[in-house]
Amino acid sequence: MLTVEGLTKKFGSRSVLADVSFTVGAGEVLGLIGPNGAGKTTVLECLAGLLPTNSGTFKYHGNPLSARGRKETLFYVPDGILPWAQQTVKWLLTFFERLYSQAPEKLAALAGPLRLEEIARSRVATLSKGERKRVLLAVGLLTSQPLLLLDEPFDGLDLRQTRDVMTLLRSETTTGRTLFVSIHQLNDAAKVCDRLVLLNAGKRVAEGTLAELQAQANLKDGGLEEIFLALT
Amino acid sequence: MRSHSFLRLLVKEFRELLASRAFWLLLLFVGFLVGHSFITAVGLYAEMSGNGGPAALPQGLSPLDGVLVPTWGAYDLAATLLFPFVAIRMVSSEKESGALKLLLQLPGTLGSKLAAKGLVLLFAWLVAWLPGIVAVVLWHSYGGHTYAPETVNLLLGHLLRGLLSAGLGVAAAALADGAASAAIITLAFTVGTWALDFVAAGRGGFVQQLASYTPTAALRSFEQGLLRFSVVIVIVLVSCAAFVLAGIWLNIGRTIKFRLAATLVLVIVTAGVVWVGANVRASRDLSENRRNSFSAVDEAALRGVNQPLKITIFLSPEDPRLTDFEQNVLRKLRRSLDKLDVEYAASSRTGLFDSEEHYGEILYELGGQKIVERSTIEEVVLDQIYTLSGVTSPDRSGEEGFPGYPLAAQPKHAAAIFYLFWPLVVIITWWLLRATKGTKST
Repeated sequence: MLTVEGLTKKFGSRSVLADVSFTVGAGEVLGLIGPNGAGKTTVLECLAGLLPTNSGTFKYHGNPLSARGRKETLFYVPDGILPWAQQTVKWLLTFFERLYSQAPEKLAALAGPLRLEEIARSRVATLSKGERKRVLLAVGLLTSQPLLLLDEPFDGLDLRQTRDVMTLLRSETTTGRTLFVSIHQLNDAAKVCDRLVLLNAGKRVAEGTLAELQAQANLKDGGLEEIFLALT
Repeated sequence: MRSHSFLRLLVKEFRELLASRAFWLLLLFVGFLVGHSFITAVGLYAEMSGNGGPAALPQGLSPLDGVLVPTWGAYDLAATLLFPFVAIRMVSSEKESGALKLLLQLPGTLGSKLAAKGLVLLFAWLVAWLPGIVAVVLWHSYGGHTYAPETVNLLLGHLLRGLLSAGLGVAAAALADGAASAAIITLAFTVGTWALDFVAAGRGGFVQQLASYTPTAALRSFEQGLLRFSVVIVIVLVSCAAFVLAGIWLNIGRTIKFRLAATLVLVIVTAGVVWVGANVRASRDLSENRRNSFSAVDEAALRGVNQPLKITIFLSPEDPRLTDFEQNVLRKLRRSLDKLDVEYAASSRTGLFDSEEHYGEILYELGGQKIVERSTIEEVVLDQIYTLSGVTSPDRSGEEGFPGYPLAAQPKHAAAIFYLFWPLVVIITWWLLRATKGTKST
């Protein structure tokens, strides 16, 4: 579906991404994993067109991704933002629902798993970290682009919420949508992702399913943590 | 972009405006500013109208000068010190909160998103006009006179002033890291234009031409009842360029090098287009007392002057005679003569200690002939020009003067309206909106 080739990004003389390449398959949940500072957010922001790249190509179904095509193809939900903080959660979600011409059932379906009803009348500014994350996830799921990029979708969520969100994200792929998520919690990544891209110090270390990564690391039955430590 | 998407963005910007504390503070303070200006102006107008003043003073009293300009002058202050912060907040809050990253991905171009911000800011500026409109209504209720063309022209001037402030605020917010830096940029620009005004006074040439488009100078021509199309064109172009500049710098997916190059292209294109616009000579004198025009018979006579006229002025910028000459003669001559070259030859700024032999003289050159004159009186100057050009001086005896509209009225109810009722309306509206929409001002 989406091919990233030779993605390089520097901030001044500091190299943040060095020749990163990977593919995103249609309908899958692709996890971008790595430690803090590995360059996960930078990959997502470069893909979303919110950061200029030094080099690299993005191809969607084999064709170069233009700025306009990018807007129609993917939507990126950043981590740690506080959008339109003085508006209510209800307004924010309705704004996205109507902007993307979603049926009212879509928002209703998200309200349960993301527990939106209890915070609907609250202002975005007053939300806790976890509540804010749930709202941002809802915002992303209300968009209509076929590829959704999520930066740390489980950050700030408790165990039960994480499990509910995982179920929600898995069900989203059944509608034909593709998810590309950056996750620093390796256990969470192993549970929700179909395939994984391992990033370390701005370089792609490995890419594949858990089984393929186990084979690469020579760790038959090894967990993602062991695989990561073995490969980096 | 689909129109319904644009409408949704417009609604979003509108809600953001209502959630902005800067907007409500603008509304609150503009009431006090307009109220104070109006009450002072009406009182002074009453004094000049014979309420204890010299008997001859009421003749020629113009409500435009006496009441409307000082009252609406409050908006010049608001456009300089208050309104830019409303514009800055519209952009800075999204940059600082990260909402910009979502906004850039929403349907529609960045241009349409900035257009939505521009329209909402224009709406905010028009809402802020309410106290000024109330002042005009009050003036009428006292029996005061207004002349519609010059009043509408004044409002157009303030509309353009607001548009320019909005553009500058949005551009500054796009360029700067945060709201505080953007405020410094905006204020630095304003102070810079004040300095340019000061430096250009009595200088002539390019600097004076440039200074005639500073916000203060541009507004001044509207305050004098003069509609200069070049001013309208230049202010609209510069305001639009400021929004485009904002668009360039909010496009965070582009490299700094690209944005700098785009800025350079924008500056060059804007400078070129503005230069063309600045050379549009068309203007309309919309003042009731025709203060920007010579009498009809003189204008007809001046149409017979076909050769270039050069005027060399040996008066320093701070000499009141130069101010008289600029106001009463040069301004009108610039509108009447196509080929006019003015040179300011005095070397000092005040003229107090000027030892130049020719200081105080005004030299007129036309068709190889020269006349030196010291008078700055309109009729004297015109007669000298007629002599040089061989045009017969017209008979001005049949001309009717401006009657003036003296009115010794007291500003009844104005203090209660502007100092009590308006602030209450603003505060209650803000509180109700905050309570019902769940928004809180920042």
